[in-house]
Formats: sequence, structure tokens, C-alpha cells
Amino acid sequence: MLSIVAAVCLLTAQAPGPGLTARDSAFHALNRLAYGARPGEADSVAKVGVMRWIERQLDADHIPDSHLAERERQFRILDLGRADLAGRYRNAVRERQRMQRELAASGDTMPMRAAGPMREFRELGGELQQLAIVRATVSERQLREVMVDFWTNHFNVFVGKGADRFLLPSYIEETIRPRALGRFEDLLIATARSPAMLFYLDNAQSVAPGSEPPRMRGFNPERMPPPRGINENYARELLELHTLGVDGGYSQQDVINVARIFTGWSIERPERGAGFVYRDWAHDPSDKQVLGQTFKSAGEDEGVRLLRFLASQHATMHHVSAKLCARFVADEPPDGCIDAAVAAWQKTRGDIRAVLRAIFTSPDFWAPQAVRAKVKTPFEFVVSAVRAAGIEPDDTPRLAQLVARLGEPLYQQPAPTGYAETEAHWVNSGALLARMNAAMMIAKECSSVPMLDDQSQLVDTIDAKLLGGTMSAHTRSVILEQLTDITDPEQARVMAVGLALGGPDFQRQ
Amino acid sequence: MTISRRVFVKSGGLAFVSLGLDPLFLARAAFALDRPAVRPSDRPILVCLFQRGAVDGLNMIVPHGEPAYYQERPRIAIPATDVVDLDGHFGLHPSLAPLKGLWDSKSLAAIHAIGSPDSTRSHFDAQDYMETGTPGVKSTADGWANRYCQHDREHADTPFRAVAFGPQLPRALAGSAPSLAIDDLQAFGLRVPQEAARDRLTRAFEELYDGAGTGLLASSSREGFEAVQMLKRADPTQYRPENGADYPPGRLGKTLLQIAQLIKADVGLEIAFADCSGWDTHVNQGSSEGQLAARLRELGLALLAFDKDLGDHMHNVVVLTMSEFGRTIRENGNSGTDHGHATAMLALGGPVKGGRVLGRWPGLGIEQRFEGRDVAVTTDFRDLFGEILSRHLGATDLGAVFPGYAPSPERFVGAIRG
Repeated sequence: MLSIVAAVCLLTAQAPGPGLTARDSAFHALNRLAYGARPGEADSVAKVGVMRWIERQLDADHIPDSHLAERERQFRILDLGRADLAGRYRNAVRERQRMQRELAASGDTMPMRAAGPMREFRELGGELQQLAIVRATVSERQLREVMVDFWTNHFNVFVGKGADRFLLPSYIEETIRPRALGRFEDLLIATARSPAMLFYLDNAQSVAPGSEPPRMRGFNPERMPPPRGINENYARELLELHTLGVDGGYSQQDVINVARIFTGWSIERPERGAGFVYRDWAHDPSDKQVLGQTFKSAGEDEGVRLLRFLASQHATMHHVSAKLCARFVADEPPDGCIDAAVAAWQKTRGDIRAVLRAIFTSPDFWAPQAVRAKVKTPFEFVVSAVRAAGIEPDDTPRLAQLVARLGEPLYQQPAPTGYAETEAHWVNSGALLARMNAAMMIAKECSSVPMLDDQSQLVDTIDAKLLGGTMSAHTRSVILEQLTDITDPEQARVMAVGLALGGPDFQRQ
Repeated sequence: MTISRRVFVKSGGLAFVSLGLDPLFLARAAFALDRPAVRPSDRPILVCLFQRGAVDGLNMIVPHGEPAYYQERPRIAIPATDVVDLDGHFGLHPSLAPLKGLWDSKSLAAIHAIGSPDSTRSHFDAQDYMETGTPGVKSTADGWANRYCQHDREHADTPFRAVAFGPQLPRALAGSAPSLAIDDLQAFGLRVPQEAARDRLTRAFEELYDGAGTGLLASSSREGFEAVQMLKRADPTQYRPENGADYPPGRLGKTLLQIAQLIKADVGLEIAFADCSGWDTHVNQGSSEGQLAARLRELGLALLAFDKDLGDHMHNVVVLTMSEFGRTIRENGNSGTDHGHATAMLALGGPVKGGRVLGRWPGLGIEQRFEGRDVAVTTDFRDLFGEILSRHLGATDLGAVFPGYAPSPERFVGAIRG
């Protein structure tokens, strides 16, 4: 019922943006809520009505997405559970150790080529990245894919850290994706309990000082000394990055007390499936104070209560809303859209869809200074170029490698901050040259622009299909000048598409 | 210089096309006329290595003369028998043994108990502060190395003046002075097999971005195209390390090799910046062997190879390692260390007054510690950076580089020869 009321509000909202045509509005919305427009899509969205399209995107579950479902069936990694992946990882590690031993014994310096489990596991890692590209490119539920990317980055886990090599797939599938448009609190609790996060930020190892594990079968204290104290890592990043923000008003003592609350939140051994486990013996049994609030000793439930408490703090609402506005509105978002998002958060107790709706109906979102004001991230650039060029991405890691070359390899940010939301972090001379190279590569496979003998017509078509009619006069004249001595229409097409995708107009959104 | 060449490319390109002259050739000719008067190889060079993740200074430069060190670290302390002794009190982690020769020849110094006056234990904030050069101030938009470039314009004639090795420009080099991020020197530029086609495509994109107006897209692309032209002349594809230098496998070795390459190419490099990661040793840090030992071994071998490879060039080069903070004196429950306060840094090169552990050592006693647990900071990192900038690179206005601080010669630790 609530969503119907909200939808009606949205549909009766003023037409977006002064001075924006219906088509421009649609193009803007497709740039921000989606990974850019596919050829012709700005027109079709304008026809439906951009606000109606936005409301459909917010109601992602009701958008049919059969093509993506078909594509997902090609990805083996989606058939493998955490325990299965853990086993395969163990085999890969064993193979590597065996090879190292053989290498040392033979005195050879040439590394041997990985053949079996190691290679297979590496291929699965590549699949995971390419799956993200395929989903972002072909899914009809574009806003959800954008939000999966946003939350995966907000609750960053580095795939290169030990067990996270096999924990990350279930983190994406089971923790992030089902909750990307749900309630923030649920997402926060799910990440806190996820084996991937528990391992990444070391909480799995955090135990109350002086606590002793019961005798464990197969546990070899020589090889792995038992943990002996609290580890503050997760507690600190939970407050600084996931919830309150660095200026959120907490102290070092708060960090320590949060860490004490989460003592005992850990992971089962890999051979038992590497799932979440609460170990009561490791839990600090005393009462704790965080931000002046007392958390009575209650075992596992303390942590859940703390997470609910953090999710409802004003500092959290503001911190996360500002980050959402940086993603959707402008690198330095105006206060108006942040305040609107915070108000919606308060009213709905953290319904992510309501917060997004508030941002998309805020005048700041449609203001002329917001349109085309952001530079696409490496991931946004590659996916939007592939969409515009009408390319069906294959299941090789090729496109994911392009994203990496532009500076933000998927799942490979070691710092818990995730990648920054502001352009200064990805716009630099080297990365721009890499974009031009990527554009030329993508241009060779472009299927959305036909070969045309008339060069002026060719450039018009490119403007309409790739740039939504926003090509600047300068870009047009430079491309035409380059085409003058090219007689082969196929060569002309590749050159013109490559310049358009690699030029300054397409970098913006 | 920058402007004149670009005007030349534009007008020259259009005017001479009908005469069949290659505008790029003309551009290059114009460029050659403008070569700096100072021979580039005479320029002082600073190479910064950021150990991201907070290196454990106590296990890198080991205070083996302190009983408290062994008391607090029963599982991870470096046994005195393994430490490479430096002065009876401090010693190198055994993985850094390859650097002992440089210590003995007085071109390597260590600075201990150095760090930020800000007490944050957040990697993100502390790195940010060390790179902006303004601890405690989050709103600083540019980095200290960039501000140095803004204010000392003497060498501002080459796009290679300030280069970050990696896919992204670090905060230290962010700002209005042009700086370059290079992931791979040999693959820098547009990837087209035939040279003529590559030049043509490069020109086309250059013109496209000429119309991009102002802002980061425009300035970044301009820097990129200038760099492509210079590197083309320097031809780095033919590089071989000299003097039997053997860089270790891995990213750090590859990066230092490329920095050596760029220094020898004489393209005007003044500040190089590179990251090396893997220092956040919360769990199973290891002692003489183990996780940290492996990272330090790579660091030691890479620095040694770099010094060898550059040979005489090192008389004008200073390599400085830095890290956002140190780690707890006491080992944690997981045989690791948590986020602490002061750490240690290394300075290497001809201009370094080496063979000494510099800075005032605060001791590890409970009452000597910061907040009762961490090594106290006795040298503000800005005093060391400032000393190197002024005494090595010749910076004239440290107040502009470190706003609100102004490093003072009385506080310099004496890392650079007078």
C-alpha cells in the first residue's frame, strides 16, 4: 500500500528539470540509474515517461529479466556453493605447495605452469568478474545492478585476501544481491554475519581476552596458534566506513567496546562449509557502552542490537545518504538532495527504495548543473560503451580486464574504503589513454552503428545511437576531419565509433 | 612551453598539411628547441615508496637493546641473534640484510619514532593526512608533492616531472600541477601496431580533447599526450638493468626498474611515487620468517637492485619510504599487531647522511608510550619531508607545501648532507 502511495506521488511529481526535454531527461536517468542508454533506449524511456520508468526500476522484482537468467546459466560459479569452492581452493593451494616443493627440489628457477586445480580456481575468479559485467550490461533491472555495485563497494571485501578468494562469490550472491533494494539495517546485519567480511576485517579471529577454546579435534596449535584477544579492525571500519562516518562522533573506547560486542562472531572451518558461527566461549560476557548506550550482556544478540542501533543513528543516515548522492547526483552533492534522502530514511526506517526515490525526485537530481556533470567510473565507462555499441558480452574475462586497466579492478580494492566516488580518483592521464585504447577495441565489435557511405550521416547515427544526441560540435568536426581520407566504410565506422567512445563527450554522464 | 607547443601543433598542423610535412615532426622539432638549460641528469630526484597498510616499524628497524620489545612480543619479536645489528641498540630485520652494505657505505639512514601528530588509527585517514601533508585537516584538496610542484616552478617544463607508478594518481600528487600516473612504461600511449597509424590516432584524440574545455578531463588528457611524445623519443623498450642489478619478481621490483629507466631516460623526472602494500599484519605477522619477513625481503632486494642499477645516478637520488602509522608495541591475540602510532622510515641515496638511526628514540616503557600502548612520535613526518624537499630538491617555500606548519631547520633530523 505504501509503495502505491509513493508511486502516485512520484507520477504526479513535476516534470523533471527546467529546460530538459523528455528525451534529455530519459538520457540523464539512464546514465545515472542504469549503465547508460542502449541505442534507442532514451526514446523508449521518454515514451513511457521517465518518472514511470524510474518507479519500475525501483520495483525491480516485477521487471522480467529472462535474457539475464539465460546468460547466468552459463556461469559455473553460480552452481558452486561455499563449501564446494572452499574444497576447490584447498586443492589449488595444495597444488601450489606441491609445485613449490618440486621446484625447490629440482633447483629450477622457471616457474611451472599451473595445470589443474590452480588454473581452474583462477578461471572461476575471472568468471566472477565477468559475471558482474554481463549482469550490468544485459539486465533489465538496471537500478538494482547499480545498487549491487554501490553496496559491494560500500561494504568492500578484497578478493585477494586468503579465504576471501572462495568466500566472495557467496558474499555477492547471498549477502549483497538479495538486499540491494531492501532495508539498510538488514544489509548491514547480513554483511556483519557474512563469512567474507568476518574474514576480511579479522573479526573471525577476535576473542575475549583470557577466553580458552574447548579442545578441538584436529586442531594443531603448533601450526596455527589459537587467537588470544580482541581485534579492532572490523569494529573500526564498521563505525568509520559502514555506518557513522569518520566524523560520526565515536571514540577509541567505542571502537574497543564494539570489538568486544562482536567477540565470538566467527566462521566455521572450511571443511564444514565455512559458514557463520557464533562461539559463546570466545564472547566477552560483560556489559558494554557504545556512544553512551549500554548493551547488556546478551551473547550473539548484542551484536544484532548494536547494528540496529547504528543503522538508526543520524550520522549513519547522513553519511550513507551523502555517499548515495555522490553516486547519483554529483561528486560534491548539494545539501538539498542529502536532506531529502535523510528525511526519507527517517520516515521509512531505512527503506533503500524510499531513500533512492527521494533522491530521484529531488530538484538537485534534475538541475542543469547535475546533468552530464559526472565522469563515468572505469566500470561505468566499459559497461556503458558495451551497451551503446550493442555488444553481447561473452563469458571470457576480457571486458573485466579492460576495467582493471582503467584503474579499478573488480573486487580488488585492498582498502576497506572501497573505491572513491569522486572523479579525481579515476581521471588521470594514464587512465584516459587506457580509455581511448578500450574505446578502439570496443569499436571494432560495435554492432549498433551500420556501415554508411555518407560520412555526415555516419556521424549523425553515432551521435543518436551512442551519445543520445549530445555530441558537441567540436567532436563532430574532429571526427569528420579524420574521416576525409578514409574510403573504406568499415574502417571509417571503426574510427568514428572509437573516437566517439574514447572522446570527452562519452566520458561524461 | 606547454602552451607554445600546443599552439604550434594546432596551427602548424593545419598550415603545413598541404605541403606534405608531418606536423608531429614539426612539433617535435619545436620541442627540441625548448629543452631545459639544466641537464636533466643533474637534477635532484626524490623517489617515494608508500608502505600502505602501516608497516611495523619495530620489526623493520628492531630496537633489540630494549627489554620491553621482547617482553611485549613473545611470539613475533626478532631474536637478537637474527637481527642485523646497526649500532648496538637498533638492527635491521634479517630480511633487510641485503641493505647492510648501503648502511656501511653511509648512503642508508633510518628515521625512527616518526609519524603524524594526529592520533587517528584509521588507514584511510592517516594515509590521507600523510599525503595531503595536513594532519587533522580533511578538507585539503591537494597533496604535498603537488604543492611543491606548484610553488617551485623551476623544473615545470616536462610532463614527467612528477610521476606516480600505478593505475591511479595518489593523493600526494593530486592537485593543479601536472602529474602523471603510469601503470606500465612500455605500454604507455595508444596501442596501435603501426607507428604512422598510432601517431595519427594520437593526434585525433589530442584534438578531440582540445575541445574538452577546462576541468580534470581536459588537463589530464593534455598531460597524457605530452608524455606520449617525450617517451617516444626516449624509447624505453630497449631497457636493460646495469651493473648486474637483479630486481626481485613482483610489482615492487617492476616499479623500481621502471623508475630507474625513467631516470636514465633523462626526461626530467623530479618526484616519483610508488605504492607497496601488504603491511597490515593483524594476524600471523611472523618473526624472522613469515608474512612480514617476506614483504621486507622483497623491499630490501628491490632497493638494492635499484641502487646498483642506477650506479652513479644515485648521487642525485633520494629514496624515501613512508607509512601511515606504526603498529602496537604489544602483539595481539592473533600473533599480529594492531594499528599503532609512530613507525620507522628509510632514506637511501647519495645525498643521504647515512649509517645512522635518526630521530629521538622515546623508549618503549609504559610511561613513554603514546596513549599507553604505542610508540610515541618524536619526529613529525613533515619535518623529514620538509628537510628532503628543501635540502635535496631545493624547495624555497615550505610554508606553502605544508600549510599551517612550516617545518623548521631546528627540527630537521639531519638526513641530508649539508
